[in-house]
Amino acid sequence: MARKNFDVSSLMQSKVTWAVIAELLILLVCFIIRPDFFSISYQPSTGMLYGSLIDIVNRSAEITIISMGMTLVIALGGTDLSVGALVAVAGAIALKFLRWDVLTYNTPGDYTVCPYIFVLTVPLIVCALMGLFNGFLVAKGGIQPIIATLILMVCGRGVAQILTDGKQFTTGYSPFRIIGQGSFLYLPMPIIITILVVLGVAIFTRKTAFGAFVESVGVNPSASRLSGIKADTVILIVFMITGLLSGIAGLIYSSRIMSNDSNNAGLNFEMDAILAVVIGGTNMSGGKFSLAGTVIGSLIIRTIVTFVYYFGIVAEATMAFKALIIAVVIVLQSQPVREYFAKRAARRGGESR
Amino acid sequence: MTNNRQSILSKLTNPKYIMVYATIGIFFVIYAFGAFMYGDKGFMTVRTFVNLFIDNAYFGISAVGMTMVLITGGIDLSVGAVASLTGMFIAYGTTVLGLHPMTCIFAALVMGVGLGLLMGWVIHYLNVPPFITTLTGMFFARGVCSLISRESIDIHHPMIDALAGWKIYLMKYSAGHWVRIRPIAFINFNVILFVVMIIAGTFILQRTRFGRNIYAIGGNEQSASLMGLPVGRTKVLVYGFNGLCSVLAGISYALYVKSGWNLSLQGGELEVITCAVIGGTLLTGGVGYMIGTLFGVLLKSVIPALITFNGNLLSWWGKIATGGLLLLFICIQRFVVTSSARKK
Repeated sequence: MARKNFDVSSLMQSKVTWAVIAELLILLVCFIIRPDFFSISYQPSTGMLYGSLIDIVNRSAEITIISMGMTLVIALGGTDLSVGALVAVAGAIALKFLRWDVLTYNTPGDYTVCPYIFVLTVPLIVCALMGLFNGFLVAKGGIQPIIATLILMVCGRGVAQILTDGKQFTTGYSPFRIIGQGSFLYLPMPIIITILVVLGVAIFTRKTAFGAFVESVGVNPSASRLSGIKADTVILIVFMITGLLSGIAGLIYSSRIMSNDSNNAGLNFEMDAILAVVIGGTNMSGGKFSLAGTVIGSLIIRTIVTFVYYFGIVAEATMAFKALIIAVVIVLQSQPVREYFAKRAARRGGESR
Repeated sequence: MTNNRQSILSKLTNPKYIMVYATIGIFFVIYAFGAFMYGDKGFMTVRTFVNLFIDNAYFGISAVGMTMVLITGGIDLSVGAVASLTGMFIAYGTTVLGLHPMTCIFAALVMGVGLGLLMGWVIHYLNVPPFITTLTGMFFARGVCSLISRESIDIHHPMIDALAGWKIYLMKYSAGHWVRIRPIAFINFNVILFVVMIIAGTFILQRTRFGRNIYAIGGNEQSASLMGLPVGRTKVLVYGFNGLCSVLAGISYALYVKSGWNLSLQGGELEVITCAVIGGTLLTGGVGYMIGTLFGVLLKSVIPALITFNGNLLSWWGKIATGGLLLLFICIQRFVVTSSARKK
């Protein structure tokens, strides 16, 4: 009995619980207003399933992928502001390799100029290296992560623009289209990639000691160094992973639009990713992290956007609704409110006993 | 007497001013470089120098509030969106609704300061990280901008036109009477507002109890609270003051471009933070000076000026140069902090 009371109380204390409740509530409102919100249909011509839920998961892919890395960075007690700029860089490099010849062939056809393997690997390698640069500044330079990553955030888009000479290339290369618009097992490709990334990060952090290292460094770097954890190496790896994941998100984004858009690709992604992580229950001061919570956080953000689109409100105004709903979630999750509910739950448990 | 002079000297050589000196020094190095390279094209003129103020006054005004927020150890990401919303208020109010600009400005002030106070309250009393709280504020303000209008609205109102057109020409005394200097240089309302805000900010930080509380909270919030300082009230007021600065920046920007647009000043918050960091404000809190922020704004604005004078470079190089400057300053800061820690 006592055990059960404890569970209710800790469940009320958990931020992830509140995130799940919030997501379910938003979905419920969607369902009440539009009963067909949950319907999923099969489109034989493309071999894909269609429906609002599929669309939410599909469109949240970039943010979910980035926020997997961001979760680890925030668990370390930092933030990575450069991810949005890295998305632009990845797109710029990929399109540069696909359309190097833009002056000679003006029609975006089904061809690539450089071998396709370069199109896929070079952006990822460059983004991982940029992540490593962030990690180097934080680990070896001892600089606050928020400022260290501000550097690449400020100049990353400049790099992307200069790589492409300020031009916007478009392409029609079909293998590249698969990344963002293809399908596999009836599901859109971005969902498959997201599942692979989430599983990969989860296995890497939870099946090895790496996750525990990250949490330990996030709570107290010097104590973990004294207990034999190489804090610097952990930081370097985490920032490199985040860079790499931003690169993957960049490829998905540019494959969706089959173009590079150095001004708008990944705009505000860092903000959305940080929000997803925080809504998912990871504390910004570092320590324990929850990858499942982050996935839910990312879904909440996308559900809000889809919700607003559905009811015909202008696209740019989504932000106001996003802000209102996020404000409610954040207030519900804030320490005083959670303590209040936990206390009430504990008291009620005591009475029933 | 000698003693007094020594104390002034030792005050000036205090290591806590090193960052400010570095900012001022690098600004003059870059300015001298510009003078050397493009002196013949008019880089040295008073006009170019005054234009640094005119073209960046709105960033500077916002940076005054941002510096205070950063000194408390917080951050405010909503400034660009609030400034943009102020512009929308003025543009929509005067052009579409036909209201008097002062009414619109008053509404914007209520909105900006209110939002700032609310965010400060949430940050302190609900213990939500400043980054998340002000990010939500930014989304909110930006969303309301788009709800008002998705199109750019021109501002046509005699009062706004008069205020935007009002300028003091810089004069020089030659051959017995005052003449305008050539090429013509002038100071407008924005520049005066910018300078007044910097002076007001310096006064608040250095000469009032409120300012000392700000530094104390940034140094160590827990000690400040144990010392009996009004931590909560100070933090809420700092965010409120920053809201005021954002609204003033928005007014200044509206006067500068004479229109309101829902996507204007996007990313402006990071430009402002960059100015403050280049000016020697530490994001960990507790350290920062208005004079540093002033030169941070000038330093950040001299780079686009150099690129314009060069004429061949893509404007994107400006972003990369700003990133490089940030890196340089962070390294200097790091060096200063470690060397002063070693001394202790």
